[in-house]
Amino acid sequence: MILDLHTHSIKSDDGRAKVANYCQWIRARGVPIDGFVLTEHRQFDFASDYGELSRKHDLVILKGAEVETEYGHVLVFGVTEALYGEFDFASTRLPLERVVEHCDAHGAVAVPCHPGRPRVGMSAHLAEHGVPKGVRIVEIHNGGSRDGEDERAVAMAEELGYLGVGGSDSHIVSHIGRCATEFPAPVGSEGALVEALRAEEFRAIPKGESTAG
Amino acid sequence: MSGKTVSAIADVEFGAQLPSFTPDTSIAATRRFGRHVGWNTPRFTDHEGARKEGLPGAIVPGVMSQGFLGAMIHRWAPDAEIVAIDTVFRAPVLVDRPHTITGVVTDVDEDAGTVEIDITVANEAGETRVFGTATARLSKD
Repeated sequence: MILDLHTHSIKSDDGRAKVANYCQWIRARGVPIDGFVLTEHRQFDFASDYGELSRKHDLVILKGAEVETEYGHVLVFGVTEALYGEFDFASTRLPLERVVEHCDAHGAVAVPCHPGRPRVGMSAHLAEHGVPKGVRIVEIHNGGSRDGEDERAVAMAEELGYLGVGGSDSHIVSHIGRCATEFPAPVGSEGALVEALRAEEFRAIPKGESTAG
Repeated sequence: MSGKTVSAIADVEFGAQLPSFTPDTSIAATRRFGRHVGWNTPRFTDHEGARKEGLPGAIVPGVMSQGFLGAMIHRWAPDAEIVAIDTVFRAPVLVDRPHTITGVVTDVDEDAGTVEIDITVANEAGETRVFGTATARLSKD
């Protein structure tokens, strides 16, 4: 199963894509993914129910979050109300190690994203803050990367022994599926996604390999 | 101008690609633009001056990039009313470097007579520098 683990909809301040149009695009263009995770900026969208869209288009639609730490941006998968109460998702300066600890304690997974990006990526902050404890997975392929950012992410992951996932970081409809992550078995829920990530059996799909966009 | 133009909402299909083009991002063009709008700041008109401001070189003004995007829409649908162009500037569009303007229809509302278009400015490496959406109104007849 192939999932795009990093997407934004109009729920994010800089997102311009409606979820229904993502689904329509994937099916109309034959984008080779089986679903996607909505990782809205600095929030978790408890309210939206994408069940009908999911059934209509036969796509897995999951929800996560993208929070901001002193090491840059971090995807959180497996958000629950209990986890949401542990720290302020809207903060722009969360302590990464605490985020990871809370995620571990609440059955979630924290994944630093676009780590090769200046300012908002983890590699830019290693010299100042050192290597953070608890990180196992980083996003090594990001559909919005430029100027060698993915190369830096891959190098950092290799050096520090991290596993890698991929996501498009799409903010507009036509960018979905530019990068993705392949899992060996179906993933149909946020809980199953966390299990699959913790099983550490997945493969990041880079932009060139995907046929999307 | 190349490619088929559209005039009515009924002519537009979800996923339709607008004819892309390579805009004039030369320093002469940004200087000309700067003269017309009263922006003769070095960041748009002089590579060396822009570098002194910490930029990699002179950059294309944001509204000029938006103008390119609007031009693409009107090349595709000459009679369309552009209701909105909403852009997110991710990285500078560098002067004297080739860029490509692209657009694709990602929503069609036949009742309202409007289309939503994903719009991007990408550099020669295919990296998205500017993205966003535009809404255009077409004739319902």
